[in-house]
Amino acid sequence: MPRDPLCTPSDHRVTRRRFLGSAAGAVGLSALANPLVAEELKKQRRQVLFVWLDGGMSQLESWDPKPNTPFGGPFRPIQTTVPGIQISELLPNCAKQMKHLAIVRSVSTQDNSHSAGVDRINRGDPKNRGVVYPFLGSAVAKLVGPGDSGLPPYIWVKPMSGGFIPKDAGFLGPKYGALALGDGKPPENLLRPKALTAEEDDERNDLRKLLDKNYAATRRAELTEANSHAYEMAAQLQKKISLFDTSKVLQKDQDRYGTHDLGRHMLLARRLLEAGVTFVKVTSYGWDTHGDHFNGAASLHPKFDKPFAAMIEDLADRGMLDNVLVIACAEFGRTPRINGHIGRDHWPEAWSVAMAGRGIKKGGVVAGKTNDKGTEVATDPVDIGGLFHTWFRALGIDPTDVQYGNAGQPLPIAHEDMKPVKEVLV
Amino acid sequence: MQPKKAPADPNAPKELGKPLAPTTQVTRVRFSRNGLRLAAACFDGKVRLWDVTGKEPAEQKPLGDHNGWVTDIAFGPGQLFSTDSWGRLSAWQFGGEEVKAHWTVEAAHDGWARAVAVNARALAVASCGKDGFVRLWDRGRGKKIHEFETKTDLLSVCFSDDGKSVFAGDLFGVVREFEVLSGKVTRTFEAKELHKLDRIQDVGGVKNIMLSGDGKTLFAAGAEPKTGGFVQCVPLIVAFDLATGKRLSQYKGANDNEGYVTDMAWHADGFVIFTTSGQPGQGKFHFWKPGAATAHFTGGKLPNCHSVALHPDGERIAVSATNANSSGNGRVKGMGGDYPENTSPIQMWTLPKV
Repeated sequence: MPRDPLCTPSDHRVTRRRFLGSAAGAVGLSALANPLVAEELKKQRRQVLFVWLDGGMSQLESWDPKPNTPFGGPFRPIQTTVPGIQISELLPNCAKQMKHLAIVRSVSTQDNSHSAGVDRINRGDPKNRGVVYPFLGSAVAKLVGPGDSGLPPYIWVKPMSGGFIPKDAGFLGPKYGALALGDGKPPENLLRPKALTAEEDDERNDLRKLLDKNYAATRRAELTEANSHAYEMAAQLQKKISLFDTSKVLQKDQDRYGTHDLGRHMLLARRLLEAGVTFVKVTSYGWDTHGDHFNGAASLHPKFDKPFAAMIEDLADRGMLDNVLVIACAEFGRTPRINGHIGRDHWPEAWSVAMAGRGIKKGGVVAGKTNDKGTEVATDPVDIGGLFHTWFRALGIDPTDVQYGNAGQPLPIAHEDMKPVKEVLV
Repeated sequence: MQPKKAPADPNAPKELGKPLAPTTQVTRVRFSRNGLRLAAACFDGKVRLWDVTGKEPAEQKPLGDHNGWVTDIAFGPGQLFSTDSWGRLSAWQFGGEEVKAHWTVEAAHDGWARAVAVNARALAVASCGKDGFVRLWDRGRGKKIHEFETKTDLLSVCFSDDGKSVFAGDLFGVVREFEVLSGKVTRTFEAKELHKLDRIQDVGGVKNIMLSGDGKTLFAAGAEPKTGGFVQCVPLIVAFDLATGKRLSQYKGANDNEGYVTDMAWHADGFVIFTTSGQPGQGKFHFWKPGAATAHFTGGKLPNCHSVALHPDGERIAVSATNANSSGNGRVKGMGGDYPENTSPIQMWTLPKV
């Protein structure tokens, strides 16, 4: 049986890939070099920036402040550029970009542990069908495709080590795994050694492919697929190595984004999005502030605020917010109750997610609300399945129409009992 | 055979009555200079007061109207000063039983005012804030006298014994000495091990500073942080000789479960009383004689101690801690199925004669 994971009514639609194929066919491949065609293709990109604040950013010190309440903490609320919407004083730059942002304050999810929560949120927490669902990045890589960038569709910029992360792809297979750029750097030994000629390199690759094919004939295809895909990604990156040349990054931008990990990684993410990468995930670790939380927030939140706001501003200035869906998320929020370590613990019950860009309503929107103390969602709760519906729809994909196909088994792309947050969608 | 019970330490502090039970968490406790009152700065924007002259402390009407948290309190002669996390500095005047609002500076700092200090010989009160400023205020009217800018997050402040200098400790383990008249930084004292950059988070800092009773030794306290998120840190107090600026000695805890030094007081018998936050759910108070390798008394076993106040008679301390089981992921419910706020029981102890 063919392993094409998609078998859906959308097969009968004109997809972006088909458009690209037919466009290229109609005008000839050389026409892709035509600036007008290239510009038109850029306009039709569908991309995602997914900012992951690992450990969980406090909703009370960010998107949903509750000043002068028992759990409100020490910080002040500030007015944003949208009348009536206030956020924490720790996000002053985001407050200036509020006209581009949509905040869902009624997020209520199921898991208060990191180990299960991270996967659950990233995979959209679908109904259990005995398969491992893809992370959002792999899902978008599959559903939207690699586009015209000539780069891997799912790139993960993260602190520490990098590498090829096939596990994110779940049942979609390693082809849709993440290429992780450890500390925003290209993989080690990416470039062909000078002592090796291009011809010799090609010969080696041909030999590798042959050996892979022979190896795969009697074994599980996923392993060789993963191996081959890693080589393909390396070949793609070799052609775009200039993306990693930080000497060309303007000092002004470094100042705006910050020179810490998150700032540098967000700036690289901008370059990757400009280069057309379909899904860029940026992870920042260390948000699990069980102790001395408020001093932690005073240090951490501004380091999210500046680059996130700068990114929104830059994408808006470049007209890219029409193409790029931007999401700031984590595995949960943090407890309203302040513990004895002056920390906040894990809180999936009532937290916030921010988004902007493609498919998201402009002008500044807040959807849902929590009660006065921030201890309960006071409107219809939104689980991660609902957010997956929202994000897919923002990308022009209808989860009630499109399905995955897993070896003949049709699978919904988002929890079928859940609905999008319509208030934030265009 | 039953194991023999260890004999009670005759020099150990003894609990004095039941803990006071404010219904919210407490950031700081202090006794008034005349020893008649105990005050507690609280998360709910109030300063709670107790008359401690009787057999049992008697709670008085709280002083209210702060925003966010009351972050620090300091008693001056006949006055109490309080700061809050939205930047307000308030002065309260005591006249017999009555306590009156005296003056308020609404925006003494832009945001979190971290600490306030008074010196009996100086006519000023000093405050410092996250905005990087140390500001001196006229004690009588609340008029700003001087301000010193550091461009760094300031956590702690105190006066020199003669009131001619102000010391301010920052997030990065540096204490600056400002000369009040000139406003200039005259010296810096560095204990940079009190700070750590953990990933992108600046952790720790000089959480408390204090002078010895003779005004000759400066103590800078906090911890050697290991991580940001969990307050894994080894308590640390560094003593500096004010005459030379040199480091004298230090107290360093035994392991990184002990947490921060959250508060200090100087006892006239020549030792430092301090509290540690503890982790998880532990906290202690300690007595340490500068120069000694270890504390000569450690006790309490209180969950997460936050502050200690020494009574002017030198025979009592008040320690604020946290209720048991204050931590927990998800919806930890109270007995009635509610979602309770944590609180800070305040326990008094009698001190042994040294």
